[in-house]
Amino acid sequence: MKNHSTKVEQFAVCVFALATFFHLSTTVVLSAQETAKDIIDHVDRIFRGDSSHGIARMKVITEHWQRSITMELWSLGTDYSLVTITAPAKEAGTGTLKAKDNIWNYLPKVDRTIKIPPSMMMGSWMGSHFTNDDLVKRSTLTDDYDVKVNFDGERDGIDILEIHLTPKPEAAVVWSHIEFRVRKSDVMPMSIRYFDEDYALVRTLTFSDFKSVDGRMVPFTMNMYPEDKPNELTSFRYSDLSFEVNLDESFFSLQSLKQWRHR
Amino acid sequence: METPLSTFPWWRIGWRNLRRNHRRTLITALGLAISYFAVVFLVGWADGIKSEMVENGTGILTGQIQVHALDYRPERSLYQTIGGRNGTDVARMLQILISDDSVSAVAPRVYAGGLVSSGESTSAGILMGIDPKLEPKVSRILTGIVSGRAVKVGANEILVGTEMAQQLEIQLSDEIVVVAPAADGSIGNDLFTVTGIFHTGMSELDSSYTVVPMDALQKMVALAPGRIHEIAITTTNPWLAPQASERLAQNLGIIDIQIEVAPWTVLAPAMFEYTRLVESYYFIVIFIVFAIAIFGVTNTMLMATFERRREIAVMLALGTTPSQVILAILAEGVALGLLSLVVAAAITFPIITWCHYAPIDLSQLYNDITMFGALVRPQLRVEYNLPVSIWAGVALQLTALLAAFYPAMKAARVPPADTLSDI
Repeated sequence: MKNHSTKVEQFAVCVFALATFFHLSTTVVLSAQETAKDIIDHVDRIFRGDSSHGIARMKVITEHWQRSITMELWSLGTDYSLVTITAPAKEAGTGTLKAKDNIWNYLPKVDRTIKIPPSMMMGSWMGSHFTNDDLVKRSTLTDDYDVKVNFDGERDGIDILEIHLTPKPEAAVVWSHIEFRVRKSDVMPMSIRYFDEDYALVRTLTFSDFKSVDGRMVPFTMNMYPEDKPNELTSFRYSDLSFEVNLDESFFSLQSLKQWRHR
Repeated sequence: METPLSTFPWWRIGWRNLRRNHRRTLITALGLAISYFAVVFLVGWADGIKSEMVENGTGILTGQIQVHALDYRPERSLYQTIGGRNGTDVARMLQILISDDSVSAVAPRVYAGGLVSSGESTSAGILMGIDPKLEPKVSRILTGIVSGRAVKVGANEILVGTEMAQQLEIQLSDEIVVVAPAADGSIGNDLFTVTGIFHTGMSELDSSYTVVPMDALQKMVALAPGRIHEIAITTTNPWLAPQASERLAQNLGIIDIQIEVAPWTVLAPAMFEYTRLVESYYFIVIFIVFAIAIFGVTNTMLMATFERRREIAVMLALGTTPSQVILAILAEGVALGLLSLVVAAAITFPIITWCHYAPIDLSQLYNDITMFGALVRPQLRVEYNLPVSIWAGVALQLTALLAAFYPAMKAARVPPADTLSDI
């Protein structure tokens, strides 16, 4: 799977790992003055912020199997997150800890933690269509990409803005470009499409099921579709989410990763 | 007594002329003989490198023939097992394969890609599940164990390469964590005890391959016992592999599954193309070496006939025809060629026999090299190449004959009166 690293991916990441939300009024209306850059920053900020705690279910469908995983997630800022699988029973307790640029996995069966080596960052996270790298990236989209509005109008009956992101010359990213579709009514993301160096679509992330949590709109469902495998997808859906929970850095330790059962 | 020489006097004249100046004849013959030696030895050495490459390229890991599910290569997906989801009757397949005359050993394998973790360090690795009894007959990965022992059937035991052991600071009897995505979508993981460390000399294997019992790997990655990815086959001679593959595919046809039977010439096409390229270069070597020799021999023959110009003038004056003079000198060339061939054989065959059975070690001068994914040890290993030995003999004879041609033409044009009145 061609899930190359970009800063953009934390968009995806943050949603399932770092689900913390910034100030974004549900009634934001795009003004003429607002630039594409501001919009992307807005969207980017949806998934950044202080702390969060949630329960989510990830359904992975591949050509060969399909499975559902239920997980509990905690996050603090963009640097720390902890995910622990709670079901199915066979894998309950399996967890991932992200602290700054590092990822550890905990395997309850053998009671060991292993640090994911840099060479495996492009590898699949928990068998899904997300990569380990999706969990790690931290910098903001507008640092790495030049932004411009490509299309302004109606698509599928919704008034949207299509925003084109092209990497800045010095940016260490692999996508040739990224295409955002943002709903104009409330500046909620509809989809993100990732294109590789040959300008071919690699994967599409869609957002739906927008709900208000602590006064903020959040897409509760995200689906990742790999372009080369039309029958496959990873669907990530929150069943519970809260913000500004009381967590500090010490929570995101290897000890916490191992001790899920006791929490 | 009737001999070919007496019935054809020009042979006798040619042969006798060779004996007039022993030293010159011997030096010329040595020149040709060494040309012959150069060709046969260089080609034999190139053959030696080629054989070394093919033997190691196929003997360390791949085997000379592999059986896979039809769409297993090149992606090598975990799911593409022989016989698909249902797997196959492995024992029966092995039985069919081993019953072929050109097959000397077979070994089933299961592969998975994952992580190997020891202490703080983790590295990506290829997990190769093997049958500990069958594998040593096909590949040298188990015979390359430098410390410890091979893995046992059914046990959570693992072998790692020297480079991986160094990188992850793994020692014998350490327990290491192995993680790999399983065929049911779960994250297969288990603890394995390191029973041995192997060294193949190939960095790729020594740094990223691990060997575990096939059944333990199947269990970890959720594959049924009948689901394997590969059967590696050793043939009695690597060059028989392409023909044997076709036959084996037919033999396996009675099992109704989609498979691919590929010889090493297909699995490692670059290596095969290289062997073909090397072969085409043999004839270029023959051509160049004898093309150089031909000028030396021509020069010697020119001098020899020039020295004998008065004698040739007498022959012509006494009624010998120019064509008979030509024949006499060509006969001299052929005789020289035959003599050179004897000398050449006397020099060449003892030396190449020696280098064949006791290759000269060049490791003081050169390090191991890897060609097309195959290890080639630096040594002067020479293979016999009968066709090239024969062709080089023909080329030597042709060289001697062609070299005599110009001097013969010149000799036939010696003006008898002028030459004899010269002095």
